[in-house]
Amino acid sequence: MYDKTIPFEAKIRWIKRETRDTATYALKISDREIQRAYSFSPGQFNMLAVPGIGESAISISSCPADRDLMHTIRVAGDVTTAIDRLNVGDVVGVRGPFGSGWPIEETVGRDLMIIAGGLGIAPLRSIIRQILKSHPGGSRAPVLLYGTKTPKDVIFRDEFPRYRDVFEVHLTVDRADPEVYWRGEMGVVTALLDRVTFNPLNTVVFMCGPEIMVHRAVPELVARGVPGEKIFISLERNMDCGSGICGHCMFGPRFVCKDGPVFRFTDVEQFLKIMEI
Amino acid sequence: MESLKEKKIKKIKKIKKDDLKILFDKLRESYTVIGPKLSQGVVVLSEAGFEDLPAGFRDYQARGTYRLTDEKAVDVFSFSNGPDSFKRFLHPPLNEIFSFRKSKKGIAIEPAAKEGRPIAFVGIRACDTWALKLYDRIFLEGPARDPSYSALRKDSLVIAVNCPHPGDNCFCSSMGTGPEVTPEVTDVADIVLSELEKSFIVEASTPAGSDILEGIAGEEATDRDLEEKRSRIESCKKAMKKSVPYGELPELIYRNLEHPRWKDTAKRDLECGNCTQVCPTCFCNSSYDLIRLSGFSQKGAELKGVRIRKWDSCFSRNFARVHGGNFRPSRRARYRQWMAHKLAYTKEQFALPGCVGCGRCITWCPAGIDITEELEALKGVR
Repeated sequence: MYDKTIPFEAKIRWIKRETRDTATYALKISDREIQRAYSFSPGQFNMLAVPGIGESAISISSCPADRDLMHTIRVAGDVTTAIDRLNVGDVVGVRGPFGSGWPIEETVGRDLMIIAGGLGIAPLRSIIRQILKSHPGGSRAPVLLYGTKTPKDVIFRDEFPRYRDVFEVHLTVDRADPEVYWRGEMGVVTALLDRVTFNPLNTVVFMCGPEIMVHRAVPELVARGVPGEKIFISLERNMDCGSGICGHCMFGPRFVCKDGPVFRFTDVEQFLKIMEI
Repeated sequence: MESLKEKKIKKIKKIKKDDLKILFDKLRESYTVIGPKLSQGVVVLSEAGFEDLPAGFRDYQARGTYRLTDEKAVDVFSFSNGPDSFKRFLHPPLNEIFSFRKSKKGIAIEPAAKEGRPIAFVGIRACDTWALKLYDRIFLEGPARDPSYSALRKDSLVIAVNCPHPGDNCFCSSMGTGPEVTPEVTDVADIVLSELEKSFIVEASTPAGSDILEGIAGEEATDRDLEEKRSRIESCKKAMKKSVPYGELPELIYRNLEHPRWKDTAKRDLECGNCTQVCPTCFCNSSYDLIRLSGFSQKGAELKGVRIRKWDSCFSRNFARVHGGNFRPSRRARYRQWMAHKLAYTKEQFALPGCVGCGRCITWCPAGIDITEELEALKGVR
């Protein structure tokens, strides 16, 4: 086994521009042995390092069956800016995978609803791709609700036609853009719930997005009868070590890096209510 | 086999006070001995011998105050905890994790080697043995065993001491973490010393501790000696001035996360982070890449550097910062995070107390904030 405290090298195989500030990077682990030993489940994240700059926690946006290990990254801080300057063939350091994944076992015999906001679709794409590949024989199509700021910010735009083969997809934007023809909705992602008919008692929700979206969407779902225990949210915090020894990601008594990032809503409910926890 | 081992490590001896020197000498043969020592008017932990022990010194501690007094006591370990704890040695303030070289060819990473003789800590108090136990759980039993800590901790030895007197800011007896080194922590305390009027009772609780004890001549401890040990611990407990409502934790914190007191505390709080640096259970840290100017090389566009892990504090403004925002922008939230982590969260995270009642945070707080008083205030009406 490789050591998760020491980065290993990975080469960028290709880069795909998603939006003006976001791109997907496909990585290939250089060491054959690590390549074989490395495995992850959807929803987990890696620490990507640019030597001399630092490390950043980035969720894995490919599914385990994919050939490449993908990360979808928005330019936000020092490390992501440095990654943005890299080209195909350049190398990055990788540690991981860390954290809990999406609880796939919860979806057995239930209807899955995925709610994503902005870049929050990145860790969910992992599970979306897994479902695309495996085609579960459920009675209903899983639902995918996705909201972004503007039509130009829709990540994985070219993949949505494929998603629609399996998923019931609804998109929304905060505001329209005169340059782009938009057929989706306008408004917050929770408004999309009116567009879907679903059986709340048989629904499992996987959610990732800005915390404000979580704050709005969860009460809405609960009000419609979805049990809190069946809502899973992926949280974001400052991360440094990935294994619960640096203390940065603490969310109440939970370490987002090792207990999360995916939490059952009822396990964190009491702390979500408190500002600045 | 198991019973034989148990028999072997159950070892109680009584040694003369001066024979402590023999123990030190014995330890020096195979360990780097870290013990209490006087430095600039403070009892610190550093490489020390028997001669360095500040025997008989007493200290006066109050909120934001630490003074050594002129009073000379009979007991060797009559001084109480200074600012230092084992964490300075096992989780160094600046710690190299690995070095890296980046060139066109790729990244080469070399984990930092932690060499040197194993450490023997002498004079660790009961409170700190609890903190050490917590550290072992954090760094060794997490999802990724920390190589640096495990290398430094490996083969280390702990000679703990039952306190003869409480410090002025101590409240361990109400936390259940002292003043006696109890069986819950004898797995981290290899040898436990109990000071009597004229001698020490020395108990080995691990095979490593019993090996050390092997070579020290001593008498059998009599029932009267054990009685004296017990009564001394009792009187130390009674002399402790501060206490916390341990039975009400952690609910007292969870119930009061929005208590107005936090705001009041934030007004006095200087955010210096002293409390987190002296706290033996505070472990938070940050890592960064350090590149010296000499680390750049034109040839092959090579870059050399090291990854450093340094102590950090939840009082740092950027501690919970992410791109585009800070999860704890207010001082109130940062103080609450610290205290709630000590008194409530750690118990849930690692099933061990996050505060061991050593009182260091009270002594070394320049604003004189007293954790026991803050906790008491949370009980008040909102």
